[in-house]
Amino acid sequence: MGKKKTVEKEALLLKVDSVHKEFIDTTAVEDVSFKVEAGRVFGLLGPNGAGKTTIMRMIMDIVRPDSGDILINGSPRPGLPRNRFGYLPEERGLYAHARVLELLVYFGTLNHMPRRKAEVEAIRFLDRLGLIDYSDYPVHYLSKGMQQKVQFIAAFLHKPDILILDEPFSGLDPINQIALREILNDFKKEGKLIILSTHQMEMAEKMCEHVCMIHQGRLIVDASLNEIKKRFRDNTYLLEADHALETLQMMDKVDVLEAGSNGIKFRLSSGLDSGDLLRIVSSKHLVRHFQMFEPSLHDIFIRLIQQEMEEHHA
Amino acid sequence: MRNMLRIARWEFRNRVRTRSYLFNTFISPLIFTMLFLLPLYFTTHQPDTSVKLIGVIDLSPEKNIANKLSNALNRSYKLENTLSQYGIYTISIKNAPAYRELSSELKDIEAQYDSLNRLHNRIKQERTAYFTQKATPNRQFSLNRSYERLRKVREEKELVSIELQRYRTAMDSLYAREARVVADSMIINNVLSAYLLFPSDFIKSGRIEYHSRSTADLLDSERLEKTLQNLIIRSRLQELNLGTRKVRELMRPVHLDKYKIRGNNEESWNIYAQFYGPLIGVFLLFIAIFTSGGYLFSGMMMEKANRILEVLLSYAAPGEIMGGKILGLGTVGLTQVLIWLFITFLLNSGGIISGGSLSYLTFENALYFLLYFSLGYLFFGAIFIMFSSIFSNEYDAQQVNQLLRIVAIFPVLLSLLVVINPNSFWIRLLSYVPFLTPSFMILRIPLSGQPLTTDIIITTGIMLFSIAVIIWISGRLFRVTTLMMGKKPSWSEIIYWIRHSK
Repeated sequence: MGKKKTVEKEALLLKVDSVHKEFIDTTAVEDVSFKVEAGRVFGLLGPNGAGKTTIMRMIMDIVRPDSGDILINGSPRPGLPRNRFGYLPEERGLYAHARVLELLVYFGTLNHMPRRKAEVEAIRFLDRLGLIDYSDYPVHYLSKGMQQKVQFIAAFLHKPDILILDEPFSGLDPINQIALREILNDFKKEGKLIILSTHQMEMAEKMCEHVCMIHQGRLIVDASLNEIKKRFRDNTYLLEADHALETLQMMDKVDVLEAGSNGIKFRLSSGLDSGDLLRIVSSKHLVRHFQMFEPSLHDIFIRLIQQEMEEHHA
Repeated sequence: MRNMLRIARWEFRNRVRTRSYLFNTFISPLIFTMLFLLPLYFTTHQPDTSVKLIGVIDLSPEKNIANKLSNALNRSYKLENTLSQYGIYTISIKNAPAYRELSSELKDIEAQYDSLNRLHNRIKQERTAYFTQKATPNRQFSLNRSYERLRKVREEKELVSIELQRYRTAMDSLYAREARVVADSMIINNVLSAYLLFPSDFIKSGRIEYHSRSTADLLDSERLEKTLQNLIIRSRLQELNLGTRKVRELMRPVHLDKYKIRGNNEESWNIYAQFYGPLIGVFLLFIAIFTSGGYLFSGMMMEKANRILEVLLSYAAPGEIMGGKILGLGTVGLTQVLIWLFITFLLNSGGIISGGSLSYLTFENALYFLLYFSLGYLFFGAIFIMFSSIFSNEYDAQQVNQLLRIVAIFPVLLSLLVVINPNSFWIRLLSYVPFLTPSFMILRIPLSGQPLTTDIIITTGIMLFSIAVIIWISGRLFRVTTLMMGKKPSWSEIIYWIRHSK
């Protein structure tokens, strides 16, 4: 317990250092390194089969790396108590015939919670996620979404320092997505370290402050969300003005990408300033909206993957 | 370690409450026991439903053996409904035409003989009168004449007597022949089960013919032989004028009490109880091992399929999960065994089964049962964990399960050999094979005449070693393979995992 307190005082830092994992005929993770700080939501992104789950399992010490280290504030992962971690695996499963509360208490006690406390906490979370009426029901009576919520509770019932969530939002309706985000925000505020993996880029954009992109076991990007967005800004703008398409099309250094009812998306070549362009357009047309277009994480993701594949083939 | 106990507790609580557990604990053993005992009950207690009719052809002059035999059989062998098990039918052919003809001729000759006899007697009387009345006129003449007549009559009488004898012999032989024809046809028509032919001198010679459709009805022929032996010896004794009391005393029956030699203690031996008891024991052991082993197997397969195992692995170390499951489900099996032992104890103390006649119902053997259950369960349990780690496909896993069941029940097939010689070389050798050890030892311990201490120590050692090896392999495979889904691994992959698992 003493150790836990000191950990709480200094900010948590998880370091994945040159981790490598091979299975019989495939390399699942190839020399991946990154750091995760507490108080920020860390997103592990990548297509299916990229190696996200293997990395998460290694952080959970379910699978051990062939080489490299996973350190929490400098201590190697295998020696750390498991109850400091909370884990939601990608594929969800519960004991179908067990009763909801009974099951949560069992999982709580496996994380060394006193039985009574596990019961109180479980009831609190069941109430918060609207499941309190089902606490004495066998799990198989519950809908899939409800079962998923039970599984969330199982992951953070024991108030772990580090939360690892594999595709937490998949299969969850928007209302429950909001409820889960609120809970995760609370954990973030409490200074907990949160890692989530997803291939839903919009969700990652909403939730994560820092992202790591993995493709075929290799790390291709490791940066804060802002940084990535800045890096992939490519002088693209969005303009909403009456009949301005023709003007833009006639200009040399403007490359119109998309023209729709909401406006025109275009890229500026070097040599033309956005201020100058705005002046020219506004002198001729009524400009209702002008903004720098930030690429979505989704676009960045696709571009990166394509780029990576081209490089790899070359 | 604490998590291991928590997992064990969870597994125990969730299994003990299931319907299948209650079924396997109370209903399955009952069914098994019934399956064994019902045929046994029927073969030993099956009542003979009909009276067997035994024919008797009596050629003796007394003609009373049929009655005596009927009474004796009636006293000894009765049906459930208190009717005599055997009926005696005296075969008579006196109405047969050939016999009747011969019989009337015989009667003529007998009459002739009678008249000759009477004449002979009268002449003798006349002669006596001549002898005593010396004053009779012509006495000498009369004597001579009467002598002449007497001689003639005597000659004639002797001739008729020979004729009579000839007729009687002919009639006896005719009677025997005709009676046998009748009796044979009665057997062929299923009226008689068998018939006995008593020659005229059977009491002296002791030879009696037994005719039946098949000579395989040992039970009947043995019973008849025994009864007749008694009757004939009784008749012979009676001829010695020993008096009824003396004869009864001499004829006091002999009863063979059967005992089996076991060291210094002799005790009575009942093949069925001695043999079927341990066999039921093996089946119970089998049920216990494969109930809890089966839970282990199906539980692992299910948790692998629905990924609970991954959640558990995030809470507890693989060793704790494996240990917890083995311990928890082992306790499930142990509870089952203890329930059975308790029921046996209750039945025994309630006098429903007689512990006195079942020498193997001892506290010591109960401990051996617990020992071999634990060893067998740990061994098969570890194998189940190993295979459930490797296979993710229920179908493949079930095949392995079936195979293991067949191997484990194999000793039952050899149980007769174990009964004949529980300590033969091959049986001993087979008991050292870990897959067979528990079943063989549970059969051998009660059946063996001598203590099996050496074999118990050796087999326990072998089992413990095998369990350690398999748990080690399972442990190495568990972490890697439990999260593998889909394809069936090759042997080279399995060996790779065992060697490279961390």
